[in-house]
Amino acid sequence: MAEAALPSGIGQPGLGERTVDALLSGRGIWPAVPAIFVLMIVAIIPFMILLSLGFSDIVVARGAIVSQTLSLSHLSNALSDPLYWTTFQRSLSLALSTTALCFVFGYPVAYLFLIGGRWTKRLILVLTIAPLLTSGIVRTYAWLVILGGRGVVNSTLMNIGLIDEPLRIMNTYWAVLIGMVQIHLPVMILPLIAVMSRHDSRLVEASENLGASRLGTLRHVILPLSVPGIGTGAALVFTLSYTTFVVPQLLGGGNYLNAATMIYEQVVFSLEWSKGSVTSLILMVTCLVVLVTIALLTNHFTRWTKGREG
Amino acid sequence: MLRKSSLADTLGIGLILAVALLSLVLLVAPSLIVVIISFDTRAYVSFPPEGFTLRWYAEVFEQGELVEAMLNSLQVGVTVTFLCVVLGVPTALACARGRFRGTTALSVFVLVPHMVPGIVLGVAVLFAGALVGVSPSIWLQSISITVFILAVMVRTVQSRLLRLDPALEEAAANLRASPFQSLRTVTFPLLMPAILAGAVFTFVEGFDNLSVAIFTHGFRDRPLPVELLALVQYTSSPLVAAVSGVQIVLAVVALIAVSLSIGLDNVNE
Amino acid sequence: MMHGPPGPATKIATAAPVLRIGAVGKRFGTTTVLENCSLDVSEGEIVTLLGPSGCGKTTLLRCVAGFWDADGGAIEIDGQEMTQVAVNRRPVGVVFQSYALFPHLTVEQNVGYSLRMRGVPRSEATLRIAEALETVSLSGVEERYPAQLSGGQQQRVAIARVLIMQPRVLLLDEPFNALDAKLRGSMQVELRQLIKRLGLTSIFVTHDQEEALTMSDRIAVMRAGRIEQAATPDEIFDRPATAYVADFIGTSNFWEARADGGRVVLPDGQTVETHLDGQAQVMTRPHNLHLGSAEAGAWKGTVAFHRSVGPLVEYHVETSGGATVKVAAMRQERARPLEDGAPVSISVIDPTLCAVYPL
Repeated sequence: MAEAALPSGIGQPGLGERTVDALLSGRGIWPAVPAIFVLMIVAIIPFMILLSLGFSDIVVARGAIVSQTLSLSHLSNALSDPLYWTTFQRSLSLALSTTALCFVFGYPVAYLFLIGGRWTKRLILVLTIAPLLTSGIVRTYAWLVILGGRGVVNSTLMNIGLIDEPLRIMNTYWAVLIGMVQIHLPVMILPLIAVMSRHDSRLVEASENLGASRLGTLRHVILPLSVPGIGTGAALVFTLSYTTFVVPQLLGGGNYLNAATMIYEQVVFSLEWSKGSVTSLILMVTCLVVLVTIALLTNHFTRWTKGREG
Repeated sequence: MLRKSSLADTLGIGLILAVALLSLVLLVAPSLIVVIISFDTRAYVSFPPEGFTLRWYAEVFEQGELVEAMLNSLQVGVTVTFLCVVLGVPTALACARGRFRGTTALSVFVLVPHMVPGIVLGVAVLFAGALVGVSPSIWLQSISITVFILAVMVRTVQSRLLRLDPALEEAAANLRASPFQSLRTVTFPLLMPAILAGAVFTFVEGFDNLSVAIFTHGFRDRPLPVELLALVQYTSSPLVAAVSGVQIVLAVVALIAVSLSIGLDNVNE
Repeated sequence: MMHGPPGPATKIATAAPVLRIGAVGKRFGTTTVLENCSLDVSEGEIVTLLGPSGCGKTTLLRCVAGFWDADGGAIEIDGQEMTQVAVNRRPVGVVFQSYALFPHLTVEQNVGYSLRMRGVPRSEATLRIAEALETVSLSGVEERYPAQLSGGQQQRVAIARVLIMQPRVLLLDEPFNALDAKLRGSMQVELRQLIKRLGLTSIFVTHDQEEALTMSDRIAVMRAGRIEQAATPDEIFDRPATAYVADFIGTSNFWEARADGGRVVLPDGQTVETHLDGQAQVMTRPHNLHLGSAEAGAWKGTVAFHRSVGPLVEYHVETSGGATVKVAAMRQERARPLEDGAPVSISVIDPTLCAVYPL
């Protein structure tokens, strides 16, 4: 401790300075405390309440919960209700198909990005990111226009005389699928690009130098190295398409019930909140199961990234 | 030694590239078609369009409900962005610079609301609000979307922070800067592009989000996506096309803004 | 910790040292990075902290700068204790390995940064910036950004940036690492001349022997958190204080011998005095050995290898014990260098230039 009088200009840092210094140097967690606080109140606690509601009988009056008693009836009802099974099955198969197709259509774009020049890369980035900045409804609406009775497809086909009457494409499973795939395509492409551009381009050159055809390089070098990107993309696309609200409703007509729309009806229309809670929980759990599977698969195919044991 | 690529190889790669091009067209075609339709003179949606008019764009701004919805969404977008900056930037600092145990835990914690489906978050907030007597409103909507998208701001700023040379701030200190001056003249200017990029994405989410908003928006404060949903379901006029056209233009503008500030290498989403 | 023959005492300062590092230690968790480091630096002196990576040299520098707090010991500048003084108030200037130029500021704004922080008016600042840039021979690039400068130019900007503060101590952390070999050599000479001209007290950190020998008035050889020896380059070369220092700087020959009754017997029969007892190791430099004909002495061997290094010829001689001894001779000594395989005997030219260390 310096006891001697120090000339002006040399001294201890003031409180304000110490605060900012702590902020910058990350000595404590407290800069994040406001965020943690808000997250607890607006996310974590509501989740717990959601959990509790799924396992209790409640009475709702005028938008507020009046009474609450513990009960497993909602869960058991849901699990034994055939409607639940069909709905979730439908949602699941739609989401998985969307994910698979997004991969089929998205991976080539990522490959093109990898081998393309500067302007190709820029073009791809613009075309991929721009849709993400518009709302889902705008993108879904576009498909309404294209697949509708007097939409692009039908008008064109009629004009060139291939058909006499408009094809009924709207309000079918195919319409929903096409819409889902196109809308979620950017979400699959971006992680792929992120992972693929991180790898040394000389790996591709090495592969070709060692005699591999371009397809061979793709299969043996590029594809395995891009697995983490595939995993991320698949996880994101699956989550979004599994829990999507807008697309099935608009493109599938009111007949197309999926998990998200079911939740909406239960929560907002029929005010069966416990039911809505259970459905949400089942949605979350099933989603988690698929995500964990994807993570495990990704892990398995990237064993080469694990460092030395011990 | 001349090695010609085999026919199979060329065909295979050609096929892949063809699919890629198809996908790219697929990505942009629908939006283009919508924009074309928005100039159609006819009052119903049909293709190919007849004539050219800006009438629908004008009508968009005359429809009271639409304009109000747009203003609501604008407010939500700005609120969400503001909250994300105020809450997220310090959190990113703590995550990136933290010398305490649990920096990873903190990162994951912030990520949790984003990993959960939006509708589940919306439902949960609605229920919790009901329990304490907070009913859906534009503020509930804003705060719930903030919580949902905070992770994106934190991650964008955090990754920029991690790539920042720590010697820069040490140099500033050595050059007589107080911690506050260092923050103001070195750290923030260098962080600004990341904050801006994060702001663009959080604003867009606040403006466009439906999954969380649909459960938490106030009855009288309908945001644009909800309004649009109703419009699309019950009408068939090119009005929606016009609104879409406006959104598409705004998206392109935002994209140019982002690419000018931190370049298009922001693919660390 | 001197076990060799005592050499001249390291510079007794007639005035108080500018920088006094007293028994400074530093721990990170359970790892001790610095232990009991003491060093006095006089006005206008250039001292280099030399050692392999992990020896603690950069840590010591950072403690002096204030980036890290020492766990014990004192750091004084002009007699003022620095422990409680914040980084931005210490009278030191740091040049970083990466230069740490602010990428978003022009050269002018970089160099004038410290003035801006202290509220120096623009008019005065502009003059001083121009002056500083001229001192480092880099006028005319004020408007450019760091990214537009070459490595050498960036280094000059980094130096100008701290010179403008007129610091009492200049701290440089491996400043030449980022430059290519040719530039490195000329910059070292130029920087030393600049520092001497300005009369600045400086501390360099490096792992490069050559650099240390070129730049320094004194070298502090560090190992595992301790300063093994702090002395002039000549002293370190001629009278290394420990076996480590002897091995680290220059070429050396080591062999084991027994110390008995205050003396060690050298292989050629001569003796050297020591205060050690028991088994010890003896060290001498190649130029302190002479090769004669095989019959001339008791220390016999065969030439295994030879090469010319400038004006010297370096011989590797395999002795009967199996060890290889390096002997350096002036080229003019013989009409022709000795052939490989020639039998020779080795003799020590000056026994007092042999050092005896504990095993």
